[in-house]
Amino acid sequence: MSFAMAFSKKEDESGLSSYYNNKTTIIQEARVFNESPISPRKCRQLLTRIVYLLYVGETFSTQESTTLFFGTTKLFQHKDSALRQAVYLAIKELATTAEDVIMVTSSIMKDMQPNSEVIYRPNAIRALCRIIDPSMAQGVERFFKAAIVDKNPSISSAALVSSYHLFPHAKDVVKRWVNEAQEAVNAKSQGYFGSVSSGSSSFFGGGSSQNATQTIPSSSNITQYHALGLLYLMRQQDRMAITKMIQQLGGGKSGAGTTLKNAMALCMLIRYAAKVIEEDPNVQRQMVELLEGWLRHKSDMVNFEAARVICEMKNVTAAQLTKSIAVLQLFLSSPKPVLKFAATRTLAALALSHPASVAACNVDLENLITDTNRSVATYAITTLLKTGNEASVDRLIKQITGFMSEISDEFKVIIVDAIRSLCLKFPAKHAAMLTFLSGVLRDEGGYDFKRAVVEAIFDMIKFIGECKEQALSHLCEFIEDCEFTKLSVRILHLLGIEGPKSSQPAKYIRFIYNRVVLENAPVRAAAVASMAKFGVSSSDPKLNHSIGVLLNRCLDDVDDEVRDRATMYLKVFKAQNLVEPYVKEDSVLSLTALEAKLVSYVKDGSASAQPFDVSSIPKISRAQAAAESARPSTLDTIGVPAPKKTSAAPPPPTAAETQSAYADQLAAVPAFANYGPILNSSARPLPLTESETEYQVTCVKHIFKEHIVFQFNVSNTLPDTVLEQVTMAMQTEDEGLSQEFVLPINSLSAASSPGVAYVSFVRDEPEDYATATFQCTLQFVSKELDPSTGEPEAEGYEDEYQIEEVELSAGGDYIIPSYAAFGAEWDRMKAGPSVTETFGLGASVESLKAACDSIIEVLNMEPLGGTEIPTSSSVHTLQLSGLVTGGGGKVLARCRMTFSQGVGVTLELGVRAEKQDVCQLVVNAVGG
Amino acid sequence: MAGFFSSWFSWLTSLLFSKTAEIAIVGLQASGKTSFVNVIGSGQWSEDVVPTVGYIFKTVRKGNVNLKIWDVAGQPKFRTMWERYCHGADAIVFVLDSADPEKFNTARFELHQLLSQSALSGVPLLVLGNKNDLEGHVPVKDLIRDLQLDKIADRPVSCYSCSMKSQHNLDIVLQWLAGRSH
Repeated sequence: MSFAMAFSKKEDESGLSSYYNNKTTIIQEARVFNESPISPRKCRQLLTRIVYLLYVGETFSTQESTTLFFGTTKLFQHKDSALRQAVYLAIKELATTAEDVIMVTSSIMKDMQPNSEVIYRPNAIRALCRIIDPSMAQGVERFFKAAIVDKNPSISSAALVSSYHLFPHAKDVVKRWVNEAQEAVNAKSQGYFGSVSSGSSSFFGGGSSQNATQTIPSSSNITQYHALGLLYLMRQQDRMAITKMIQQLGGGKSGAGTTLKNAMALCMLIRYAAKVIEEDPNVQRQMVELLEGWLRHKSDMVNFEAARVICEMKNVTAAQLTKSIAVLQLFLSSPKPVLKFAATRTLAALALSHPASVAACNVDLENLITDTNRSVATYAITTLLKTGNEASVDRLIKQITGFMSEISDEFKVIIVDAIRSLCLKFPAKHAAMLTFLSGVLRDEGGYDFKRAVVEAIFDMIKFIGECKEQALSHLCEFIEDCEFTKLSVRILHLLGIEGPKSSQPAKYIRFIYNRVVLENAPVRAAAVASMAKFGVSSSDPKLNHSIGVLLNRCLDDVDDEVRDRATMYLKVFKAQNLVEPYVKEDSVLSLTALEAKLVSYVKDGSASAQPFDVSSIPKISRAQAAAESARPSTLDTIGVPAPKKTSAAPPPPTAAETQSAYADQLAAVPAFANYGPILNSSARPLPLTESETEYQVTCVKHIFKEHIVFQFNVSNTLPDTVLEQVTMAMQTEDEGLSQEFVLPINSLSAASSPGVAYVSFVRDEPEDYATATFQCTLQFVSKELDPSTGEPEAEGYEDEYQIEEVELSAGGDYIIPSYAAFGAEWDRMKAGPSVTETFGLGASVESLKAACDSIIEVLNMEPLGGTEIPTSSSVHTLQLSGLVTGGGGKVLARCRMTFSQGVGVTLELGVRAEKQDVCQLVVNAVGG
Repeated sequence: MAGFFSSWFSWLTSLLFSKTAEIAIVGLQASGKTSFVNVIGSGQWSEDVVPTVGYIFKTVRKGNVNLKIWDVAGQPKFRTMWERYCHGADAIVFVLDSADPEKFNTARFELHQLLSQSALSGVPLLVLGNKNDLEGHVPVKDLIRDLQLDKIADRPVSCYSCSMKSQHNLDIVLQWLAGRSH
C-alpha cells in the first residue's frame, strides 16, 4: 500500500508517468532483480509497474517477458511476503507470453506445501495453474486434493478456482477430485478466528517483520460458490448427476435443509436448476418446488434469482407465477435501486407473455414511473404499456415524452419497441402513438434508436391501414434530414411500394427527387428505383411524363449505379412488357440455394464449359425471403432484455448448407468422381429405424444425371461391440434401376459412429424418372470388444438387421418446391405438355385440408397464394409449383377438389410441365 | 527473557559478521546436483531423488557463511536456462558423474558452452567428479583432460573427485565454497 501511494505521488509530482511507466525503462531497471542482496521495496515497485503496464494494454515480446519472468523467479529467495505476492502477480501475468515458465514450478510448489506460510499458499496455487502444462496435472494431484479440503477458505478457494481453470486442459485428472470438491461444498462455516495461523513467534527470529501479516479467514463461505462451480463443470455432461446435485444441495422443499450458506452459490444452483428445467421438462415439477422454497430465503439475491427463473420458464402457468410475482412486487417498493431495477426488468420481460399476471403489480409500477432512476422508470413504463388498458395509453405516452430526452439510446429503443407492440395491440390509439413516434424521430439519437423508430412506423404502415398516409408523410419528412444512409434507402424503398397506392402519389415525388439532388450515391440510386416504381404503377399520363423527365435528368449522374438504374427504368417505361419481370416481379431466387449451386459450379472445373443454369434454382416469394432474412419478427421481441439463449446453439443448418455439405462428402469418395454434379439431395436424412434402437440408420438420396446414390448414415450405439463390413442390401421389384456397387463401412464402433455406407444404382434410362421401393437390410459382422484391452475379439458372427423401406418417389427426389406466379405461368404453359386426371381419394381423407396437406407432402411442391388452406369446406383449388431436377424445367399443378360427406375428396389434377414425362411422373405420384 | 535476548543477540551477530555466497549448481541430469544440495544442507543422502523441474533454491548456513544455492535442472530442455542462474553467482559448480565416462563429451560441450558466455567471465568454477564410491570411476587427472579444464584461462578452476554417498572430500568442497563468500 505504502508503495502504491508513493508511486501515485511520484507520478503526480514529476509528471513523468509516461517515462516512468515506459516499457524500455522497466526492462532496463529489471537489473534490480539480480542485485544482491535483494531490495524488496525496489523490486515490488518494479513488479507493480510491470503489472500496471500489462493491465493498461502494453504488450511485451516473448523475449522481453521471458527476461522479466526469469528476473522475477530470482526473487523467490527473499522471504518478504508482500514481495512474494507481487512476484506471484507478475508471474501470473507474464506466464502467458514468456517461454520456459515451467522453470518456476518447484519454487511455487514449495510455497504450496502445507508447512509453508498460509499467506503464500493461495497465491502459489493460483500461479501454479497458469504455469503447468496439462501433462503435469497428474503430478500436482496430491497437493490439489489436500488444498481443496484445506481448513483455510482462501487456500481452498484458490485450489478450487485453479482446478476450474485446469479442467478444460486436464479433464481426466481434475475429474478425480470430485470427492474433495464435494467436501468443500459441504464444509461447515468457519469461525472468524478459527484458523489464524501461528506465525507471530517468528516476529524477530527470522529477521523479517513481514510474518506479522495474518490472513483472517473470510466468513462469506465463498468457497462453496467455487466448489459448486467446479462440481458443475465436472458433471455438466450428465444431466442426472446435476439434477441429483441440485436436489442434494437444495435442501428439500422448504430450502431450509441446504448446506449452502453462500448466497452466490445458491444463485448459481438456481441457474443450474433453470438449465435442467429447460433441457428436461420432466423434472420441472420437483425443481419448481425447490425454487419456491428459495423464494423465502433470507437473501434478496436468492429470492430474486428464484423468482426470475420461474418467470423465465417455458410454459409457466399463471398459478406458478403468483408467488414469484409477489416477491418481485415486494422488491418494487424496496428502497434499494438495484432491487427495483431487477424486479422491473424481469416484470417487463414477463409482461410480454403473461400480461395478466403482471397486472397485479400495476399499482406499484405506477409509483415507479416518476422514479429518479430513469432505467427503473423506463422498465416500469414499458411494463405498464403491456399490461395496461387502452385508457391509460395516452397518459403513459405523455409521461414518457416528458423524460425521453433524459434516458440513454438503449432505453429509448426499449420504449419504442414497447410502443410498437402497443400500436398493434390497440390500433385505435394509433394517432397518439404515431405522433409520439414522429416526435422522437426528430429527437437526437443514434442509428439503433432511429432504426427502431423507423421499423415501428413500418409496422404501423403494414398493419394499420388508416395511418398509412400520415406515417408516410412523417417518413418523407424524416428523410429530408436523415444522416443514416441505410435508413434513407429503406424508407425510399417503402415509399416506392406504398406511395403509388396512395390517393395522391404525386406529392411523394418531390420528396424523392430531392434526394436525387441532395444525397450520396446509394440514396440517389434508391431514389431512382423508388421513382420508377411510381412511374410503372401509375396510370396517370401526366405523372408518368414528369417521372420520365426526372429520370432523364438522372442520366447525367456521376455515379454508375444511379445512371444504370435510370437507363434501365426508362427502357422499361418504353416497353411495357418488361414491367412484369423487372419491376413488379414478386419472386426472388432462393439465395441459399443459389449460393450452394454457384459454389458447386465454381468447384467443378468441367462445368464451366457450359453457362450457369439459373433456371434450376428454386424461387421463393418476397414474403418468404423476408421471413428468411434475419430481422426478428415484429411481435416477438418487443421491449425485452432478450435472453440470448438461442444464440448459444448454432442455428440448424439450412437445406442449402446441408446440400453443400453432402457435395463435399461425396466428392471425397473417388468412386463417384465421374458421376458429374449432384442434381438433388434429400432435404433432410430420412430415419429408417426408431431412435431408441441399438443400430440407427438414416438415409439420404442423391440424384445424379445417370446414377442414384443412397447414402446410409449408420450409428452403432453399443459401446462394447464393433461392427465390421457393414453393408446395406437393397432389393426392389420395380424396374428402371440396376445396382452398380456397394461401399461398405469397414469398422464401426460406438466412438466412430455414425459411419457412412453407400449403395449406387445406375438409371437405365437417364431421361426417365424411375421410381422404386427398396427393401433394406443392414448386414454386418458383429464382434464383441474385450472389456480389459478394448480390442475386438478375433471371430465375430454375421448378423442382419431389418430396417424400414426406402422409397424413391417424385416428390422430394425429382421435384423440389419453387415459387412462381401461378396465374401467368399456368396460362403461358397452356401450349406445353399437360395431363388432367381425376381421382377419388377415398373416405380415409376426412377434409379438404387433409387432402391438401397430403398432396403437398407427396408432390413436394410449393403451394401458392395461400391455397394450402382451404377457405370452403366443400370446394377448393390448390395451386402448386415446382422445379424438376436435372433440367426438367418448371412444373405446375392445379388440384381442384370437392368434398362431400361419405364420398370423401374427389380430386381433378391438372399438370402442366415442360416435358410430357414430367406430367406423367406427377400424376403417377398422386395416383400411386 | 534471557532466551529472548540470546536469540536477539545471535541474530544481531549473524547480521553483523556473516558472509554470503551465491552458488549456481549445474551439470547433466542424474549427476547428483540435488543430492549435493541435500547433503550439504541437511546431511541426508537418499537413493531416490526426483528429477528437478526448473530449479530449486535453497539457503544453507555453514558457520558464519550463508550459501544461497540455485540448483538448476540438468535435463536437456533446461540446459539453456543455466546461464540465467549462473548470472550474478559467486561461483559455478559443475557436477559430473565420474563413473559414466560416456557422457563426458556432452558434459564438456555443455560446460564450455556455458563458460563461453561473456557475462560469466571470471566467475570461479568448481568441477566435482561425483560418485567416486563406484567401481570404475575416472580419477581427477583424467577428468581434467577429458573436460579440457586446462584450457580454461579466464577464471579460477578447481576440480575435486568426491562422493555424496560416502561424503568423501565433502569438507574440502565446502571449504572451497566458503572461500568464495564475501
